[in-house]
Amino acid sequence: MITFSNTVKRYPNGFEALKGVTLSIAKGEMVAITGHSGAGKSTLLKLAAGIEAASKGSVLVNNQNLAEIKETGLGVLRRNLGLVFQDHKLLFDRNAFENVALPLSIAQFPRADIGKRVRAALDKVGLLDREKAHPITLSGGEQQRLCIARAIVNRPAILIADEPTGHLDQSYGATILDLFKSFNQVGVTVLLSTHDELNLARLKCRRIHLEMGRVAT
Amino acid sequence: MIGAWISAHGQACLRAFKRMGASPAASIISTLVIGIAIMLPLGLYSLFSNVTAAASRLNTEPNVNVYLQVAAKDDDALQTEKRLKAIANVAEVKFVPREVALAEMKRLASMADLLNGLDTNPLPHAFTLRPRATDEASLEQMQKELLALPKVDAVVMDFEWAKKLKRFATFAERLVMLLGAVLALAVVFVTGNTIRLQILTQKDEIEVSRLIGATKRFVRRPFLYFGALQGALAGGVAVAAMAALIWWAGQEVHALTISYGSDFQLQYLNAAQIASIIGIGAFLGWLGAYLSVSLYLRSARTV
Ligand SMILES: Nc1ncnc2c1ncn2[C@@H]1O[C@H](COP(=O)(O)OP(=O)(O)OP(=O)(O)O)[C@@H](O)[C@H]1O
Ligand SMILES: [Mg+2]
Repeated sequence: MITFSNTVKRYPNGFEALKGVTLSIAKGEMVAITGHSGAGKSTLLKLAAGIEAASKGSVLVNNQNLAEIKETGLGVLRRNLGLVFQDHKLLFDRNAFENVALPLSIAQFPRADIGKRVRAALDKVGLLDREKAHPITLSGGEQQRLCIARAIVNRPAILIADEPTGHLDQSYGATILDLFKSFNQVGVTVLLSTHDELNLARLKCRRIHLEMGRVAT
Repeated sequence: MIGAWISAHGQACLRAFKRMGASPAASIISTLVIGIAIMLPLGLYSLFSNVTAAASRLNTEPNVNVYLQVAAKDDDALQTEKRLKAIANVAEVKFVPREVALAEMKRLASMADLLNGLDTNPLPHAFTLRPRATDEASLEQMQKELLALPKVDAVVMDFEWAKKLKRFATFAERLVMLLGAVLALAVVFVTGNTIRLQILTQKDEIEVSRLIGATKRFVRRPFLYFGALQGALAGGVAVAAMAALIWWAGQEVHALTISYGSDFQLQYLNAAQIASIIGIGAFLGWLGAYLSVSLYLRSARTV
């Protein structure tokens, strides 16, 4: 489903964040990317989502080489991904409901469906009673969950989450990872990055460890 | 498919209206500014075309006046009349005897006292001709032929005035075009700037939308609607202002023309003109918005 072959990412300032990564993630798999800060986890996820382009080598998603698809194709791809960003990227001038509805209005869902789907997504992350709340009034953990609700609202086949447990304490992190596990159990391919060793041990999913831009064996 | 397209555009249009309503003062001001920018060349154009229309009504038929020397006798006049009729481009000859000319002049009150004091008639015999071909070349040729006739003192053609009028009309047209081009650019810039300010307040929304799959087209659409909508409204403002201006000027002109015994009327804009003004306004607004959003999307570089 997602394939990196000899992928190099060199940022415009010349820094090589990925120095030749080869890996493959199958459909329905759940994979955790681990590694120290600066190892290249976020970079790898951005490449998988087509947010950054590979400098060398290739990235394939759904058998499509991301370097070869055009702007509209990339749009279509992104609308079929669920993305959770390390810095959330919630809109602070909208309430929880409107934030979660954003991907649906971009995908031009009929208005009637939007309400149903948004509430279903908010329900999954336990925020149904906060739909009118503005993100600024939510706790860090609630913001994280809101971000997850936005990622799953269009029922993507692939979920890509960058440190979804980053700002959370141990037990709360466990709840979030269990949430991803439950998505995975219904067939969603999950690719996430994390520092959370303890919870990972419990989760028993495939791990890919990055060290300074390379996959460690 | 068509339904989705319509709903996508409907939503974008709705969002454009909402944005306009969100900051009514700013929207009204920029609409007025754009409206005035559209009105200026329009007003000038209308002024010039009315002036030219009025002026060309004053002398649709160019007349040629031929004056004989004061010393020319009645007999000379008869001879000249024959010669005039022989000239190819002359369609009609009307003889104006010096006595008639004098009597005519005496009728004008201000001249009467002056002329009564004279014991001789200072006016020459004259002819008024109607030319067949009225283009410049034929008239110039005719003027030469007339001047070559014996006893002819002067030839006065009012096509000089027509020529000046034409030159003025060309000049006015160019002026309007130039002004129009400059102000069209201004409209594009004003809209572009309005949109730029809007984009700045929606940076996050645009960034997030792009990240989760919105195409450039999708991001651009509501702004394009906004630009076009504002431009069309401004076109409407320009049309309304023009109508008011024409009505006002019409009153003045009417008073003026009555004293000249003319029934000249200022022309209001017709439906096609109104439609095209609003259309041009919408297009310029759309263009400003398009450029502004494209510029932003390029600089933001969100893949
Ligand atoms: N846009 C950029 N331009 C230049 N260098 C960058 C850019 N983004 C990331 N880097 C560098 O690339 C390296 C990898 O960054 P990345 O964000 O992928 O790390 P990470 O593994 O996600 O770290 P963390 O755990 O802190 O989130 C870092 O050294 C970082 O400084
Ligand atoms: Mg990171």
